[in-house]
Formats: sequence, C-alpha cells, structure tokens
Amino acid sequence: MIDRVMKELEGRFSSLELVREMHNYLHVYLDRGEVMEAILNARTLLGFRTLQLISVVDRMEENRFQLTWILENYTDSLVLLVSADYPRENCSVPSLSAVWPAASAFERELFEMYGVSFPGNPREGEDFILEGWKEIPPMRRDFDTEEYSMRVYGERQPRKHTDPRQYIGEIVGEWKTPMGRMRGEEE
Amino acid sequence: MYCNERPPEPSEKKELWRKINDMARANSLWVTAYGTGCGAIELRPLRTSRFDMERFGIAMRPTPRQADVLIISGYLSVKTLKRVIRVYEQIQDPKYIVALGSCTINGGMYFDSYNTLNVLDRYLPVDVYVMGCMPRPEAIIDGFSLLMRKIKEGRAEGWKHYQKNLDYYRENQKAIITDWEMPDYNW
Repeated sequence: MIDRVMKELEGRFSSLELVREMHNYLHVYLDRGEVMEAILNARTLLGFRTLQLISVVDRMEENRFQLTWILENYTDSLVLLVSADYPRENCSVPSLSAVWPAASAFERELFEMYGVSFPGNPREGEDFILEGWKEIPPMRRDFDTEEYSMRVYGERQPRKHTDPRQYIGEIVGEWKTPMGRMRGEEE
Repeated sequence: MYCNERPPEPSEKKELWRKINDMARANSLWVTAYGTGCGAIELRPLRTSRFDMERFGIAMRPTPRQADVLIISGYLSVKTLKRVIRVYEQIQDPKYIVALGSCTINGGMYFDSYNTLNVLDRYLPVDVYVMGCMPRPEAIIDGFSLLMRKIKEGRAEGWKHYQKNLDYYRENQKAIITDWEMPDYNW
C-alpha cells in the first residue's frame, strides 16, 4: 500500500527525498514550492483526508525551520509525513485552514511559539495560550527559559540533592548498586 | 460602578465569641470547586466514598461567594493566576488557601518554565502547604486537619495579612500580569 503512495508522489514531484519508509508509514522531504501541491494531492487523490498535526523543528545550527504536516488515511491505515524547510526570519507559510478548519488552531500555536506566520488563517495574530507576551517566541531554541523564569518569577530555594553512592559510601565504605554489581563493575 | 475602596480592617471580637466562631468555621469548611492545576484530579476521589471528606464537614461549592477555602492544586500559570486572584478576592472573609504540591513551594517540576510561578507565597497568602506531586487524598485530609487546628487556635490569618499588605501583593502580581483589566479590588 505504501509503495503505491511512494510511486505516485515520486512520479509527480521531482524534488522528493525519502526520509523514512516503514510498513504503513512514509516520511518525505519536499521543496518549499511543491509541498502545498503534494499535500493537496495526497488529500484528494491518495485518500489522506485527515490532518493530524502541523509541527515545527527548530534547526538553529543550519538556520532553518523544518515544518512537517502529518496526514493520515484511516480507510487504509496509512500515515504520511510531509516536511519542508523555511527560513527562520520572517517565516511565512501558506495556510491550510480553508481546506481543514482544524489547521487554524495548529497554525495559531506555531505563530505564538515559533513566530511562523500563516497568511490566510482567519484568526491570525490572536493570543493562543500566552496573554501579554513580550519576548521572542518561547519555543525557539535561542530563548533561555530558565533565565527568564529566574528573572521574572524570582529566585527559589531548590531541594537539596544527595548522590546515594556518595552518601551511603560515607557510612558503609564502598557501595555499589545491585545493578552495578550485576553488570560487573570493577571492585 | 465598582467599589473602589480598600477592604476594611477586621473588627476584634471577645475571646469566647471568637472561640465559638472559629470552632464553627473549622468544622464546616466549604471549598470552592475550582481545579486550577493537575492536583484537581486528587480532589475528585476525596468526595467519593473511599476518602470521604464530608464527614469532616468539607463540601464543594460552585461559587466563591459561598465558600471559605480555595485550593490551589499544583502549578499556577500566569493566565490562571489572573483568574484566581479574582476568585480569591470574591470569597468573603475569613478565607483560607491550601496549596497542594511542590510547584507552589519552590516551582517543583516546572521551575524553569516561562509560564508558571515559582513561589506562590509572593502572590497569594498561603495557610497550609501539602507536600507531594500530587499529594494523595489521605495527605490532603491531613492538610485539612492541620488547617482546622490552626483555625481553632486562631493562627490561620492569611486573609488579614493580605488586607494589611495589599500593596506588596499587588506589586508582585502586577509585575507578572501585564494586562491587568480588573478593578483595583475585586469585591
């Protein structure tokens, strides 16, 4: 089943790269210009009628966002992931909320957490979870969340941590966990 | 349209009358049915027949006007804090707060989150902390027994502290809630 899907997509789109193929699961990489056509083809011709999720991976070292659309075919039990690269600054991706109304919720979340804008989304720009947020979008990897928490919510008294090996070793002498003994760590 | 005055100072009563009042309050604590965080899932078994809390006189009430106690169950995000302040200030005096879980004490599991508070005592006056993540229903009943002992001895004075030091609490609250669209005091 999944071979048929792979052949169809390979035939139509020249920039297709395979990431992973399993028994009922296919993950492909496409060019930015062809990805929308591929998603709509998968929906109308190959039976992938359900949009499960739109997700973003922040690849900061290579200075790009990798957007992934997860589509599912419930009649044949197949999963298709379609990924594309977008730039990290002023990211603008066509919106799918005219086709799938649920996509507007995923796109609002990505706008708030990563800063990816989806022109065409009817509720673009509204607050999703955070109210009155003034910093950079918080899920980006260059946002230091611990520093923000300490600065805004104040210092705290953390719990004291004791390493069991050291603590019991002081009392008993040399102490190893039972798993360590089983695995044969040196005496 | 809103009452813009500060809450008045509580009047002192005679010793015997105060003792009778405190005993009556302690034996019939009514809780606002508001589950603010993940600890709310431990409040539901409390009401059913295994860990019955009605035998202590504790009942759940739907509105804050009819309640004495507000239970802060677990982490508190900034969005929830704005609503919790409104609910807490609408509870009529005398009122008590029971804080469950380690997230209210020092941030707990979410100490480095951009959305949750670290120390609850800076924003609302807490009377009893119950340890755990989440505390079991028996631990919550133990916390309520401590609260009842404190009330009978006259030591549960969080609401008086809040009224006297309202400026301190408001300053902390407004530092993190940036879109304060509520009146100066929510009567």
